[in-house]
Order: sequence, then structure tokens, then C-alpha cells
Amino acid sequence: MRFEKQVTVKAPRQVVWDLLWDIAKLASCVPGCQSAEMVDPYARYRATVQEKVGPFRLTVPLDIDIVEHNAPRRLIARASGRDRLLQSHVKVELALTLLEVDPQITALQVETDVAVLGKLGTLGHSVIIRKGGDIVDQFAAALQAELRKERG
Amino acid sequence: MLRPFALEEPTSVREASALLAHYGEAARLYAGGTELLLAMKEGLLRYDYLINIKTIAGLAGIARDADVLRIGAATTHRTLERSPEVHTHFPALTHLEAHVANVRVRGTGTIGGNLCFAEPHADPGTLLQVYDARVRLEHQESARTISLEAFFVGPFEVALGEDEILTEIQVPLLPAHAAAAYRKFGFLERPSVGVAVAVTARPDGVRDVRVAVGCVGPTPRRVREAEAMLSGKEVEAVRACLPAAGELAGRAADAVSDLHGSAEYKEYLVGVLLRRAFEDAYRQDMAGEHSDG
Repeated sequence: MRFEKQVTVKAPRQVVWDLLWDIAKLASCVPGCQSAEMVDPYARYRATVQEKVGPFRLTVPLDIDIVEHNAPRRLIARASGRDRLLQSHVKVELALTLLEVDPQITALQVETDVAVLGKLGTLGHSVIIRKGGDIVDQFAAALQAELRKERG
Repeated sequence: MLRPFALEEPTSVREASALLAHYGEAARLYAGGTELLLAMKEGLLRYDYLINIKTIAGLAGIARDADVLRIGAATTHRTLERSPEVHTHFPALTHLEAHVANVRVRGTGTIGGNLCFAEPHADPGTLLQVYDARVRLEHQESARTISLEAFFVGPFEVALGEDEILTEIQVPLLPAHAAAAYRKFGFLERPSVGVAVAVTARPDGVRDVRVAVGCVGPTPRRVREAEAMLSGKEVEAVRACLPAAGELAGRAADAVSDLHGSAEYKEYLVGVLLRRAFEDAYRQDMAGEHSDG
């Protein structure tokens, strides 16, 4: 299931780009991200995310591989993991493109392809996609708040 | 496999609400269990306590109170299907209930459970919205009544507070010279698309049309833009507008591609089912088969 979304943040492109590589700060901006660590800089990371859809709670430890990074413009990553309790696999392909709207405004274009296999998949992809859109919005708002904090 | 849980059997709504407040996320209300127990068996949900609300007197049953049909939340689909009161005033609901899921679900599943679980691929929430149904939510200290439309918040999410319980569904009778119809399509057990229409018509024209679309997007919803396009016209003019209204309803339904089909396919089906549901309701109107009038 693919979806695309574009959000804008009020900060120069380079500042947004740098924040994307600050793992602790980035993790704090990703809704449901409980932990994140760097395995190999600019190449491999690990994170655990938890998401709730109504009464269903999904906890997925993700292995994240950076496929491509082209500063300060484009980042492509692949992540996959498995929720042990729900016996569901999650695979995510993520492409982030940073566009300079003006020197102080950056548009963040998010393109993702999410696959959920296993029991959770039967709940319907519509739920996951809808949630994905909300997550991107919340991520952008948190990113904006973090940038504001950083820039005083 | 179903993990062990403790079963609470309160005898009043107040007691059930207090148990919910006490146990928090470790507990869930249990009525028919046709959705909940399956999810628990699959390990998708885990609760230490289930609160059986079937033991609460007065929570199941159907009664007509002036212009409103009051349906207890623990009323089963089968009871609704066989209710003469429902059949007389809401024949479309009788028809819908006779075709919900399968015979096992209809025998034990409840209308309240169906609405509260808010599985997007379900039937009753769509049709009940064209009747302008309302839901009564109670907790220990007080009660409130909200529209069913406002009750659906998202997939598997409803506007129930932590210790609130859906106790009653209130369904107003349709106005005079009105009839409703529900059409669905699906190739799996759950419907892929459901469209409900209520039409108020006289021989000189169609006064009012209500449209609701379900299963396609995250929640069932009324499509007032399509209603405005179809209301207050001669029937041939309404028919001429149906393709455009169907397109509009399809888009408004917020369709998403999933195992039931692509978004485009579902949008197309909304148009087809809207036309069929309209013709069915209009035919009932002209034949004098409308609710009580």
C-alpha cells in the first residue's frame, strides 16, 4: 500500500536535514517511537515503534537500512520488523525528499510503501494507510516544535 | 487459543461502568463476543477481564416510544430480524439484519457490539445513519445521547469514554411518504461496499433524499453533498443526477484500496449501489410500502 504526503516546516532545508540524522531528536518526533539506536552511521539503525488502532496495539522492533542519502535533498530507507504477539510483519519503504520552498521554509515530501502481513493485515490496509497519514502529520508538527526549540 | 480471563457479571449499567473504571484497559465489555472473542483467540487483543453485559436486565429488547424505536444495545441481530415492530416501520433494517455476516453471528452478535467494535466493514452503522439514529451512552453518574454519525470516530474507534456504555440505539421513524433501502456488495464474508438511501417522495417529486456510505472508508458516513444534489427534484431529474451524485458519494466515502478492492473499484460500486438503493426506496414509496407515514 503506497501513500504520499507533503508537509511543510518553517526551517532551512539544511537544518531539517541535519535533524533527520540526530537519532535521539528524530525518535522523539516520530509518533509511537519508543527507542532508536544507531548501528552503523548513515547505514543501519534500529527502532521500536508502538501504534494503536482502536483497541489493537502493535509493537514492532524495526531494522532500518538507509538505501540512499543525498544531502540535503533525498533519503531512501527500508525498514522491516515483526510484532511477536500479533504475529504480523511490517515492511516499510520510505523516500523523503526535502524541497526548498524558500530559504526559511522546507517542504518534506513523504512517499511510503507499507506492507503488513499476518494477522494484522486482515484488519484492512485502509486502517493502516489512514494511520500513516496521521503519523506523517504528527511527525511534521513534532519536527516543527523541535526546530523551534533548537532555534530558540 | 483463548488465554484465560476472569468474567464479571454485573447486574446494572452503573455496576458495569464502575468495573470498567476500576479495571481500565485490562477489561472490555462483552456481549455477543462475535468480534471480540475471535480477535482474542487470534491473540490480537488481550484482556484480563471481560464484563458480560448480557446479565444486565433491560439492556436487550425493542420498544416503540411514540416516533422513536428504542433498541437495547444487547439486542441480537436475530431478534431485530424477527421483530414485527422493526419489520413494520423499518423493513430495510429487517432485510439488513437477515443478511448480516452468517447465521452464527446473527444468533449471538448484538447491535450494540457491532456499533461499538466499529469494524469499518460492517452493515448496520450505514443504514442506521439514514434514519438519523442516535445512541445513548451511560456511565456511573450520568447519560448523554449523541448522533450515530458522531459516535463513529475512526476505524475501531468510537466516541465512548473510558467507563461509558452504549445502552440504547434510538431510531426515529422516517417521515410520512418515506422509505429506505440498503444495498451492499462483497465477495468475502464482510461487505466491501454498503450504501443506504432514504427517500421521501410524492408523485409530483422527490422531496428529500438521505445517503450514507459504509465499508469503503474508515467509518460509515452521511454524504450530504450528494443528498443536496438529489433532493427537491422531479424523479426523472433525480435519476439524471444519480451518476454525478454516485461519483460524489464515492469520492466523499474516502475510499482506500485494500483486500476488498481498489479505491477506484469501490468508488464505482458506490455509484452502482446508490442507483439501485434509490430505485428500491422510490419504488417502495410509490407502492405505499413506506414505513408508517
